[in-house]
Amino acid sequence: MASTTRVRETWRSLRVAAWLGWQIESNWADPFVFAIYSVIKPIAGALILVFMYAVIARDGLENPLFPAIFVGNAFFIYVPTVLSGISWSVIDDREHYGMLKYMYTAPLNVFAYLAGRGIAKAIIASIALVITLLLGIYALRVPVAFSTIDWPMFAGAALCGAAILTFLGIALGGVTLITARHSYYVGEAVAGALYLLCGVVFPLDVLPSWVRWIGQATPLTYWIEAIRRALIGTGSSAILARLSDGALLAITAGSALALSVFAFVIYRLAERRARHLGLIDMQTMY
Amino acid sequence: MSQPSRFTIFWRTVRGRAYPRIIGLQREKSWFFFDVFLPLLQVAAYVYIYRVIEAPTEFVGFVVLGGAMTAYWMNIMWNMASQFYWEKETGNLELYIIAPTSRMAILLGMAIGGIVATTVRASVVILVGLLIFRVPMTVTNVPVFAGVFVTTMVALYGLGMLLSSLFLLFGREAWHMSELLREPIFLVSGFYFPVRALGFAIAAAASIVPITLGLDAMRQLMFPEMLSHLRFLSPHVELALLTGSAVLFVTLAQRSLAFMEAYARREGRLTVRGQ
Amino acid sequence: MPTDPVIRVDELRRVFRVRRREAKGQRREIEALAGVSLAVDDGELFGVLGPNGAGKTTLIKILSTLLAPTSGTARVAGVDVVENPWEVRRHISMVSGGESSGYGLLTVEENLWMFSQFYGIDTQTARTKIRELLAIVGLADRSRTKIFHLSTGMRQKMNFVRGFLTDPEILFLDEPTLGLDVQTARVLRDYIRSWVDDRPGRTILLTTHAMHEADELCDRVAIIDRGHILACDPPATLKRNLQREAIFRLRIGGLPDVEAAVADVAGIEQLTQTRRDDHTEIDVILDDENALGDLLGSVQQGGGHLHSLEKREPTLEDVFLRIVGYGFEEAEEQIT
Repeated sequence: MASTTRVRETWRSLRVAAWLGWQIESNWADPFVFAIYSVIKPIAGALILVFMYAVIARDGLENPLFPAIFVGNAFFIYVPTVLSGISWSVIDDREHYGMLKYMYTAPLNVFAYLAGRGIAKAIIASIALVITLLLGIYALRVPVAFSTIDWPMFAGAALCGAAILTFLGIALGGVTLITARHSYYVGEAVAGALYLLCGVVFPLDVLPSWVRWIGQATPLTYWIEAIRRALIGTGSSAILARLSDGALLAITAGSALALSVFAFVIYRLAERRARHLGLIDMQTMY
Repeated sequence: MSQPSRFTIFWRTVRGRAYPRIIGLQREKSWFFFDVFLPLLQVAAYVYIYRVIEAPTEFVGFVVLGGAMTAYWMNIMWNMASQFYWEKETGNLELYIIAPTSRMAILLGMAIGGIVATTVRASVVILVGLLIFRVPMTVTNVPVFAGVFVTTMVALYGLGMLLSSLFLLFGREAWHMSELLREPIFLVSGFYFPVRALGFAIAAAASIVPITLGLDAMRQLMFPEMLSHLRFLSPHVELALLTGSAVLFVTLAQRSLAFMEAYARREGRLTVRGQ
Repeated sequence: MPTDPVIRVDELRRVFRVRRREAKGQRREIEALAGVSLAVDDGELFGVLGPNGAGKTTLIKILSTLLAPTSGTARVAGVDVVENPWEVRRHISMVSGGESSGYGLLTVEENLWMFSQFYGIDTQTARTKIRELLAIVGLADRSRTKIFHLSTGMRQKMNFVRGFLTDPEILFLDEPTLGLDVQTARVLRDYIRSWVDDRPGRTILLTTHAMHEADELCDRVAIIDRGHILACDPPATLKRNLQREAIFRLRIGGLPDVEAAVADVAGIEQLTQTRRDDHTEIDVILDDENALGDLLGSVQQGGGHLHSLEKREPTLEDVFLRIVGYGFEEAEEQIT
């Protein structure tokens, strides 16, 4: 009976948070402006990388690394979007809407709530991803074809990716609970660091060894690599190339599991500190 | 109490509003990690992209300088332009509006208060560029370089004040529009590569954003061996244009703030919260 | 020689238009003020009393230059609020109830000092005044507390100090004791009264929906409902008009709809009925005390029995009831 109640509570928390997240994300503009926003933003982001290769690389877009880098960069759209979505919802609820304390006094599953708040952002990121991939396939001849995609691997990687981003977001949400509202989206700042460390826009091998191990310990690195293999049949890193597809997917899944434990522990520790110091309803904007 | 002069109110307002920014840095030291260290890693990512595609060395310098100037751009957008939106959400905007002080003074106070953290971030990026990535940076004409930097800052902050007037009226919609424009501006303003690479027409259009001309001039002055086909205009011409931009944006900002405030007052939007 | 009013409002109207995509089936136009006219003299403590949604806050926002009227004029300190808002701001300050302004990381003293700078007050003067005012409101020992650690009452005390810190000629108080405990509210009301009394040339316009607050504090009270000023007089004068009638409160059990049972009784001026758990409470204004007997008879015939009966002095709510025909609670329900 208690477990049924928990499941219902979890589902309710997820559902309400996803609805709320969508209301917040979608109410600021009419659909036409929202559509333009959804198209222009990802295309501009992709074009930065495209121009760097086209203008500066010796063989331009024919550079053998380009397809893997493009695909990695495209899927990386999820990272800042979801991480910001979840961590910013803590700040928004706490400082702008004054709602965080009410959520904490309601019978909500806070993890499901945070995950739900990330769903709206994930939907927006998915639109951006599709547009970016279409640009890559049809304008830049990135070799992604429906007939050649390894769908089981893609499905596995996608599931793992969703889990990894959710858990990372939860961990970051916990950190946000006990830190002030600083200048920028904390999620984007963290994503910026992951951009360097996870082999997104250059092979992991290029990093000095004293930094590379951080990337090798990060689940996102394996997720990006798995997505690349599923879509274009190859990754970007010689180090990761030693792993078979099955091993890569297993490591991705295993690291996602390990991350889940880490995320819950971090969040609970942060939450306890926040309660102890009375930070749940603090205002820190300056 | 006798009424202080407008000038006195202006400068005391700047001081008053700068104070929370400066104190906040001391009381919440986590800003260094989130606002300086992490963004530095993103700049490093672009350095490695250039290394992987075997770009000429000065491109690493370009992206380091671009990363340093990104700090100022983000400061403008987050800590100044959109600030009236956040102040509205937390209930402070009303108190600013009814005070007999200039909106520009409040914004200037925010900017000056935020410039400490911004300059730390920019300096750290430059230092890492010099010490870790060994980017050779030498300024060939210090007075012109200083002039370009200062006028870029004035023009940029003027633009920020102009944009803040939009946030006064449109709030959340303006916030999302600024988010929408972030990547396009990073693309066309030459944060990651010289803007001339996009073609003269795009570079000219992008010059409306002061950072475009500022970055191009500073790159030319720091990397004299910069490929000629990647230079947009001469640094002296760019300095003149930036000076004009600075005057234009500051003037427009003053008028726009007054206009938008009056418009928002008529529409009843100055005190709407929870958008 | 009579002086011009420090606040003058003529036929003030304010209509809010809701954007189409936000209206979603509701009205798109809301008339918050429907031609309000009033004048507040120098040195007055003027109250605007009305239920929630009556237009009090809209009026204060216009006078404090946060909102422009749709039509009509408003002058504060002789200056038009639309044509020259900056000049108006040199003369005013404002405190709202339930305010959450300020920066959480700053202390009470720091927040207050910061706001004083927006008025150009030099630091030494500001700090002296801050200390004095914090002592008056009982917050002196919290001057170095970061404001996000303050309770609601303490926060409101700090807001109070902010409003008085600049020593404005005209102070707007919008429900200043909202949400405060009885003791804190009393301290602040005492200070409000003394501030006006002890300082020539200082004027307060106070909005409230708390009858006793308006009754206790105000030299004159304007009663507002649905954007209209219904009456404007000193509280004693407003209540005196009702002195001729008899006002009773009855608690009756066993008869849920007393109003229907006494509908035919002559001499009932006004009757409001409130259903409680185990009885029905009615407030009734009678032309003549003698009608009470008939009323009680009708109650008994309807199967009701009297729990208690009390004769009251008229209050401002009775005045409101008399003018409008329904009480505050009912007025708020109708507006929503």
